[in-house]
Amino acid sequence: MPQQLAIIVLVDIGNALESRSLKDNTYLFDNMKLHGSENQGTGDLVTAINGAYWSDGSQASEQVLNWLPYSLGSIPPTVPRSYQAARTQQADRQALADLTALTGRPSSDGEDAEAALSAIRKNVGTRVRAAGRSRALAGQQVLDVTGKVVSDHGQGLHNYPAPVITDVFGEAVDEKIIYPAAYGSPDLVTDGWYWSATVDTSRPGTYTYKMRIQLHELVQRAGDWTWEPVNLVCESRLQVVSQPRRNAFTQAGLSYLPLAPGVSA
Amino acid sequence: MTNGVGVKPQVNIAVVVDVIGALSDRSLLGGNCCLIDDGPFDSTGQGTHELHTAVAPGQVVQWYALAVDLQTPVEIRNITFLGGADAAGGAGPGERVVDGDHLDLNVWSGVVPYSMTRGVPHRYRLELQMYEGENSVLHLETPGLLCV
Repeated sequence: MPQQLAIIVLVDIGNALESRSLKDNTYLFDNMKLHGSENQGTGDLVTAINGAYWSDGSQASEQVLNWLPYSLGSIPPTVPRSYQAARTQQADRQALADLTALTGRPSSDGEDAEAALSAIRKNVGTRVRAAGRSRALAGQQVLDVTGKVVSDHGQGLHNYPAPVITDVFGEAVDEKIIYPAAYGSPDLVTDGWYWSATVDTSRPGTYTYKMRIQLHELVQRAGDWTWEPVNLVCESRLQVVSQPRRNAFTQAGLSYLPLAPGVSA
Repeated sequence: MTNGVGVKPQVNIAVVVDVIGALSDRSLLGGNCCLIDDGPFDSTGQGTHELHTAVAPGQVVQWYALAVDLQTPVEIRNITFLGGADAAGGAGPGERVVDGDHLDLNVWSGVVPYSMTRGVPHRYRLELQMYEGENSVLHLETPGLLCV
C-alpha cells in the first residue's frame, strides 16, 4: 500500500476575512516533496502524484489524497474539538463559584460587589448565538488562542474556528482525475469529517482543482454575537505522472531470488 | 506457477514500520519494525524483526513495506541475501542500490530457487528508506528465508 498523500491547507483566517479572499492568505504543504511536489508553503503548491502501471498497462498503485484544513495562529488542530466545550463549562463553573463567594459576603461592600460582578461577567465572556449552519459553534464562549475566555470581541483577539472544506471541484474533478468526497471519521481532531480523493493516474498531466473553504467571522447582529459563515475558494494543482513498475532484484521481470552462495547446513 | 508440491504459489512478507518510532530511535529494533508473512508452512518469529519465513522451491516471495501511520513515507531500499562467509554484515552478491527517487516503483519479488539449501536460514539485509536525510536509511539483518 503506498503512502497516503496529505495536503495541509493553512489559512490566515483574520486576513482572509478582511480581504474576503484566500489569495495570499493560504499556505499549502504536502508530504510529497521527496516525490517532486513544488512550491511548498506557498499558495501555489503543485502536488506531485506518482502513479505506476504494470507491464500490461493496468494501474499498479492507488494514490489517495487527504486534505487537512488548519488555521494559522489558532488553537492547534491537534487539540480535540471538545476543548472548546470543556473550557466553556470551566468558565461557567468558575463564575458560579465566584457568585457563591460574593453572596456570602457582608452587604456593606456595595462598591466591591459591583466590581466583583463586573469581573465575573468578564470571566464568563459572551455566548455565541446560532446562525444558519454554524449551529455547532453556538452556545459556546469565545476563546483566545490560549483557551482563555474573551469578553471584548472588538479587539480581534479571539480564536477562529477551524476552516472547513465544503467542496473540492474544478478541472481535476471534471476531467475525472480525482474522485473527492467527504468521509466520516471517528477522529475527534478532524471533527468527524475529512475530504479525501482517489486519483486516476493513467492520464499524466497537470490539473487544477479548487477547494471551497468555509471560514467563520464573529459579528454582532441585533446585540448578539454570532459566528457567520464566509465561503471562499482557493485553487491548487496536481501534477500526475505515471511510470512502469519493475522487479527490484532484476530491474526487469520476475526471476529467481539472488541468494548468496556459501550458505550450507 | 508449478512448484511440484502444489503449495500456495506466493508468500507475501509485510514489513510493518513505525516510521516515527524508528526515526526517533534511529533504529528498527524495539518494536519499530515487525515482519509478518502469510506462508503455508511454519514460519517462526511472526510479528517480530526476526521473522524466518518457511518457503518451498518454486514459490514466489514478495516483500511489501507498510507504514503504521499511512501518512509517513517508507520504502524498501534494498534486500541483500547474506552469504555464509559474510553473514556478519558484509554486503552479499547482488548488492545494488537502486535509484532513490523511484523506490515506489520497485516490486520486491523473486522465485525461491530449486538449488536453495534446505533447513538452514538464509538471512537477508533489509534496508528501509524513510523520507530523506542522513539517518533516513535503517536496516535489519535478522530476518531470513528457510527452505522446507
